Amino acid sequence: MNVAKYLLKRFAVMVLTLYIIATATFFLLALTPGDALSQRVERLPDKVAERLYARYGLDRPVMERYWITMKGLLRGDFGESIIYEGETVQSIIREKGPVSARLGIQQMLLGVTLGLLLGILAAVGKGNVWDYLVVCISILLISVPNLIFALLLQQVFAGKLHWFPVIGWPAEGGWFSGWEYTVLPTLAGCFGYIASYARLLKAAMLDVMGQDYILTAESKGLSHKEVILHHVLRNSFIPIITRLPMSVAMCITGSFFVESVFSIPGLGLYYVNAVAAKDVTIVMGETVIIAAIYIFVIFLTDILYTVVDPRIRISGGKR
Amino acid sequence: MSEHLLEIENLRVSYRIYAGEVQSVRGISFCLDAGEILAIVGESGCGKSVTAKSIMRLIHEPGTILPGSHIYYKGEDILTFDERRLAMFRGGECSIIFQDALTSLNPTMTVGKQIMENIRHHRNVSKARAREEAIELLKKVGLSEPERRFRQYPHELSGGMRQRVMIAIAFANRPKILIADEPTTALDVTIQAQIMDLIKKLAREEGTAVILITHDMGVVANVAERIAVMYAGKIVEQGDADSIFYQTAHPYTEILLAAVPRLDLNSEEELTAIRGTPPDLINPPAGCAFCTRCGRTMEVCLREAPEMLRLGETHQAACFLLNME
Repeated sequence: MNVAKYLLKRFAVMVLTLYIIATATFFLLALTPGDALSQRVERLPDKVAERLYARYGLDRPVMERYWITMKGLLRGDFGESIIYEGETVQSIIREKGPVSARLGIQQMLLGVTLGLLLGILAAVGKGNVWDYLVVCISILLISVPNLIFALLLQQVFAGKLHWFPVIGWPAEGGWFSGWEYTVLPTLAGCFGYIASYARLLKAAMLDVMGQDYILTAESKGLSHKEVILHHVLRNSFIPIITRLPMSVAMCITGSFFVESVFSIPGLGLYYVNAVAAKDVTIVMGETVIIAAIYIFVIFLTDILYTVVDPRIRISGGKR
Repeated sequence: MSEHLLEIENLRVSYRIYAGEVQSVRGISFCLDAGEILAIVGESGCGKSVTAKSIMRLIHEPGTILPGSHIYYKGEDILTFDERRLAMFRGGECSIIFQDALTSLNPTMTVGKQIMENIRHHRNVSKARAREEAIELLKKVGLSEPERRFRQYPHELSGGMRQRVMIAIAFANRPKILIADEPTTALDVTIQAQIMDLIKKLAREEGTAVILITHDMGVVANVAERIAVMYAGKIVEQGDADSIFYQTAHPYTEILLAAVPRLDLNSEEELTAIRGTPPDLINPPAGCAFCTRCGRTMEVCLREAPEMLRLGETHQAACFLLNME
């Protein structure tokens, strides 16, 4: 009963959050000067311009537009793109989503794996060469924007060495088609994951290694390796597990820089262009969908907590 | 070679920190015989917990056990054990119980698993057998519904129950030595006595010698057969319980005993508190470490550190006042 009540409450909060995000996005877009059509209608006769404005409802007052948008959101109808005729948010996500998702998932798998390995290395060898090396690498990776890495990789591995294509993306086909196109963008985007997961796991492991129960484990005569494997790792994976869903959500939304440097027809590039062009319907639609994904992922994270950490239970009640 | 079960000789432990080298334990020697209960008492920071951990070689960076220290277990020096021998000693021949049982148990592992781990690490028994033994141990330390406790996580148990689990882990392999590092400090007063009685009872049954680390003189009076009083990293007085309580030789022991609340005195009377603070162990004083707080300081106390003086068969103390008598 408690669990059902909790889930219901969480669901209500999720819907409310989504509503606030949608409203805020709408009014922020309405507040900024200019609109998607102003450039296009510059050389058109007034009559045609008026008709264009009327077609997209941009001639109506703000509050009326707000209600129309909100009613559309409820039905899942975000409206037609103003810039790209005939496209809707759904059709764009269907078309570009898989591209961004493939890139994002590849980046994440590589980055998280390497990050966790480096984190363990740094924590186990605290104070030795490995530790300092990992610290240096993560500071470098975190402070240099991945745009720079993307350009550097492109210059060295595509431009000078000709190992991989400079730009582009496999058109269609399975997950492994045209892998050579994906190598550089995957590398360019995985550094952030490496740095953040390495640091997160190292910090978590050091914290756990300072706990009293590690002394207890040692006092049973367990070897250093056994202590790390049986006692340290599970406890230090709690923050990792709860961070993972967020990373998954991030890889679906795509990355603007990497996608633009490598000319990848993904969601991130499209989204930023839509904002720049004030393509209101697309921006609203994407924002709401991405927000919904994030809100759901945060919810999932809270559920995951209860799985990894026996101390946390939804039903609360008895301690 | 040695007739004692455990013999500690000139143990010195230092912690290297930014401000300098903290000399936590400054050359202490004592011994422990099979089956006896020895209490090490002293205020916070006197080095008693560090001493306890040293016996299990649980001193970690930035701490080090300095060369010249010896801890003989049945004649073998623990400090020279290789990893395999140490892995047998820890948890097999010697166990330790810590102060806070909540933080001393792994929060993501069931109680049963944590007991089984100690059994299976030291003896080649099947999982099913280890499980039986673990449940038997839970029963032995006085936990009701041992089968259910076996499957529970530490946070589902009360403080006293958790400490009982720690005791079950400690006694899993019938150790020769049990080190109890302030086992009752984090518990309710009512439960303290139960836990102490349990440790005493199990130690007697198994023939385990106990080193009890505490600052609670009341606990000491009830269980200890011998007592060592530590101050600023040194043992200032040691001997059998009767000599310490009735023929107190060192001024520090005297003040420590006077600071124990007593039921038979007028409740209006204020408790005796020890003036001042213990000395800085980064720069320990050249003379007696207690001289700044002692009521009977002499000139010599400031210049020289007193030697241990033998007062009786087991009774020893280090104070210049004793030289005068």
